[in-house]
Amino acid sequence: MRIMKTIKFFTIALAMTSFIACDSDNDSDDTIPVVSITVEDLHAPQQGGQGQPISGAFTKFDFDLGMETDSETDWDIAFRATDIIVNGGMSMGTTDEPDRTGDAGAYIATGTMEEITEVDINLFTQDSDSGYAIMSGSGNGWYTYTGPPTFLITPTPGKILVFKTADGKYAKVEILSYYEGAPVDPDAFTDQSRYYTFNYVYQPNSGETTF
Amino acid sequence: MLNKNKVLIFALLIVFSSYGQEKQKNDSTVENELEEVIVTGTKTIRKLSSLPLPALIITQKDIEKSNSTRLSEIFNEQAGLITIPDFGGGEGIQLQGLDSQYTLILIDGLPIIGRSAGTLDINRFSTGNIKQIEIVKGASSSLYGSEAIGGVINIITKRPVEGFESDLSYYTGSNNTNDANLLMNYKKNKIGFTLFANSYKSDGYDLDENDELNTVEPFKNYTINSKATFDFSKKLSIAINGRYFDQIQDYIASSELLGESSIKEWNLSLTGNLRSNDKWNNSIELYKTNYYANEYLNTTDGENYSSSFYDHNLIHIEFKSIYKTEVSNTYVFGLGYNNETLDRTYFTTRPEFKSPYAFVQYDFKPKEKLNLIVGGRYDSHSEYKSQFSPKSAVRYEINDQVAIKGSLGYGYKAPDFRQLYFNFNNATVGYTVLGYNAVSEVLPQLVDQGQIANIVVPLSEFNDKLQAESSIALNLGADVKFSSEISSDFNLFFNNIKNLIDTRVIANKINGQNVFSYYNINEVITYGLEINSSYKPNNNFKLSAGYQLLFAFDKEGIRAFNDGEVYARETPVSPAFQLNKNDYFGLYNRSRHMGYIKLFYENYESKFNGNIRLTYRSKYGLYDTNNNTYLDVYDDFVKGYMIADLALNKEINNYSKIGFGINNVFNFKDINNISNISGRIYYSKINIQL
Repeated sequence: MRIMKTIKFFTIALAMTSFIACDSDNDSDDTIPVVSITVEDLHAPQQGGQGQPISGAFTKFDFDLGMETDSETDWDIAFRATDIIVNGGMSMGTTDEPDRTGDAGAYIATGTMEEITEVDINLFTQDSDSGYAIMSGSGNGWYTYTGPPTFLITPTPGKILVFKTADGKYAKVEILSYYEGAPVDPDAFTDQSRYYTFNYVYQPNSGETTF
Repeated sequence: MLNKNKVLIFALLIVFSSYGQEKQKNDSTVENELEEVIVTGTKTIRKLSSLPLPALIITQKDIEKSNSTRLSEIFNEQAGLITIPDFGGGEGIQLQGLDSQYTLILIDGLPIIGRSAGTLDINRFSTGNIKQIEIVKGASSSLYGSEAIGGVINIITKRPVEGFESDLSYYTGSNNTNDANLLMNYKKNKIGFTLFANSYKSDGYDLDENDELNTVEPFKNYTINSKATFDFSKKLSIAINGRYFDQIQDYIASSELLGESSIKEWNLSLTGNLRSNDKWNNSIELYKTNYYANEYLNTTDGENYSSSFYDHNLIHIEFKSIYKTEVSNTYVFGLGYNNETLDRTYFTTRPEFKSPYAFVQYDFKPKEKLNLIVGGRYDSHSEYKSQFSPKSAVRYEINDQVAIKGSLGYGYKAPDFRQLYFNFNNATVGYTVLGYNAVSEVLPQLVDQGQIANIVVPLSEFNDKLQAESSIALNLGADVKFSSEISSDFNLFFNNIKNLIDTRVIANKINGQNVFSYYNINEVITYGLEINSSYKPNNNFKLSAGYQLLFAFDKEGIRAFNDGEVYARETPVSPAFQLNKNDYFGLYNRSRHMGYIKLFYENYESKFNGNIRLTYRSKYGLYDTNNNTYLDVYDDFVKGYMIADLALNKEINNYSKIGFGINNVFNFKDINNISNISGRIYYSKINIQL
C-alpha cells in the first residue's frame, strides 16, 4: 500500500492565497488555511466482480489527515474498485462494506476545479440501501467505461465530486486516473488498475462553504 | 395531433394537385431509347434525368468496368455512399450521414431481411446478375414504409431476354479469393427463364498478426437465383423468382474457442402484371423470405461453449394499380400486408408483427416544364403506433441547361424486434439488456430473484408503446448542363430524425452492474451538399467526380456544447477544461468530406477499356476517447485516406473477355481502426459467352 502525499509548491502558494483571502474576510485569527492536495496511487482493491459477488475491504480516506486511514469511525470517503462510498447514510449491504458512523454526503458538480467555488448544501445525498451517493456504473458517477477495444476506466472530464465530511466540513475532488502511476496513455491490459490519483481541496473550517 | 396536421396538409396537396391538372398540357418530350429509366423513385417507370428526386443508377456496365464482385466495392465509389464495418464483421451502408439501419434494401423491389444487429451486410450480394442498382436518396416511407429514412437501394436483377445465351465468368484475386458465375438466359415467345449461380470463397485476411484472430476469417458462400417469366398475352404476364444464399464462415473467439457461423437465406416471389387497357396497369406481389443465421463456439476438447440462432421470416403481399390519364399524369394506388416473425436466442417471446398498409401517389405536370409528385402511405401496425408518411416533390426546367428540383418527405423506422423483446444477460460481465416490451415481464422476475439493488426508471414508464424513429427529409437540387461535354448535379440535403432509440440504465443490480433497456431520446440532424459532375470530351474519355460535404450532429450534443456542459482534458491525467460549441465534431464515423474522381478510357477499335478510380474520405472519429460522451476536436481521430483502384479489360473476341486490376494500389491500411480495407489486391478475370 503506497500513499504519497505531495504538496507541490503551487498548491502551497494557493493555500496561502486562500488563507490571506479568508483572513481578510473573517478578521478572525483561528481560520485554518484551505488545503489543496494531490493524492497519488491510492490503492482500492476488490475481490470478485465480473459477474461474481464482490467483496474486500474498502480503502478509507480522511480529508483532514490527507491520507488513508484504518479508523472504523474517523473516515470521510472510501474506495473499492470503481465504487466510492461516504461515511454517512446506510450501507447497501455488500460484503465487507463498512458501517456509516458519520454524517458525510456527496454530490457531483459539473465544471472545473477552479469553477466550483461554492458548496450547494441542498444537493447532498447520502449512501442508502438502494444505491450510493456517488452512483456506480459507467456514465452515472465519476467515470466512463470505454468498452471494447480499449476497456479503460477513465474519469469523466468536468465531474467534480463535492463531499461533506463525516464531521460536516467540505471538500471537492477531481479524479485524474484509475491506473497505477497515472500514465498519460493508460493501457487496460498492462497498467495496474484500482489506483486512484486525484486532486482535492479541503475547507477545514466548520460552516465555511467556499473554497 | 401531428398526424392530423399531416393528413390535412396531404389532403390539401391532393386538392391542389387535382386543380392543377386542368391546366395540364400534353407531355411532348421525345422518348430517348438510350435514356436510363428508374422504377424505385415512384414505383412507375420514369426517366432518371427528369425525376424530381435525388437518385442514382449504377449500371451493369459500371460494375463490369470496375470488375466489382460484391456490392460493397461498387458502393464505396459513389459520392455520399460509404460502407461501414460493424462488430459482427458485416458491412452496412451510410447514406447522407445516416446509419445502415435507416436505408431500405430491396431486390427487384422486394425487401431483404436479415439485420441481426441492425446492419444488413451488403457483402451478401453478388454483382453477377445485376442489371442495375437504383439508389433514391431522401426519406421514401411514402412508398416503402419502415426503414426508408435515408433512402432506398433497389437491386434490379436481370430478366429473361429473347434468345438463348450463357455466360461464364471467373475471378481470382489476392487472399485466395475466387468468384465464379454462371448465368443462363432463355426466352422464346411467351416463356423466359434465367439461372444464376455464384460461388464466392476467400481465405479472408489478417491486419494484425499479433493476435490469434483474423480480421476476416475464411468463408465461402453460394448464391442461386432463378427466374421464370410467362407472357400469357400482351396484357397478362407473371414471373416467379427464387433465390437461395448459403454462407459458412469460421468463427474464432480465441485459440481455445473455435466454431462456425452460418447463414441460410431464401426468398421466393410470384409477381403478376395485368395491363387492362392503356390507362390501367395492375400488379401483384406475393413474397416470402427467410433468413436463418446461427453460430457456435466449441472448446478445444469439443464441448459446446456457446451457440445462438436467429430465424427471421417475412411474408409480403402487395397490390398496385397504376392509372394513366390521357395527358400522361399518373396515379398509383397500393394496398399491402406485411407479416414478420422472429425466433431467436435471448428473446422473451416469439414475436409477430402484422402491418397492413395503403399508399397513393399522384405524379403530374401542371405545366410543360413543371413536374409535381405528391403521395403518402399509411401503415397500421400491431406493435407500435400507426404511421402516416407523406411526400411531395417538384422539378422545374428553367431552360434546356438548368432544372431545379426539391423534395420533402417523411420517413420512419419501426422499433425492431431486438429493441422490443431482447432478454440478454451477459454471463461474464453481469449486465442485462431488456427490450422495451420485455421490461414489465422480466424486471419483476429479477426483483423476485433478488438481483436488483435499485430501480432507476419506474415500470409505469413502460406502459406506453415505444415510438417509431421518424424523420423529415428535405432535398433541394439542380441539374445543370454546362455544355454537351460537362454536366453537374447539385443536391443540398437536410434530415432531422426524432425519437432515435437508445439504451439507458433502468435498474442497478446488486453485482454492481446495470439493467439496460431501450427508449426514445435522441434527435439527430444531418445536412450537407452533394455534387456530381461528368466531363466527356470525346467518345474515348470520361472523367467523373463527386463530392459530399456532411455535418451530422446530435441535437442534445449541440445544446450541451452551447451551454458549456462539456469538458475535456489535454492528457488523460491533466485537469479538465471547458469546451465551446466549435469543439463539437458531431456523430461518430462521419467524415466531413468524401469524394471520388474516376477516369474511364474506352478504345472501341482495339476493344479495350481501362479506368482509374480514386476515392477519398476525410478524418472521422470512432470513439469518444476523452470520455465526455461526445466526439470533440480533442478526441483521437481516424486519419483521412485515399484509395486508388485500377482496372483493365479487353475483349479477345466476340465470345471472351479478360480483365486485370489492382484494388487499393497504394496498399492503404489502418490496422487499428479500419477492418474492412484489406490492403492491396491483385486480381484477374475471364468471361466467356457461349
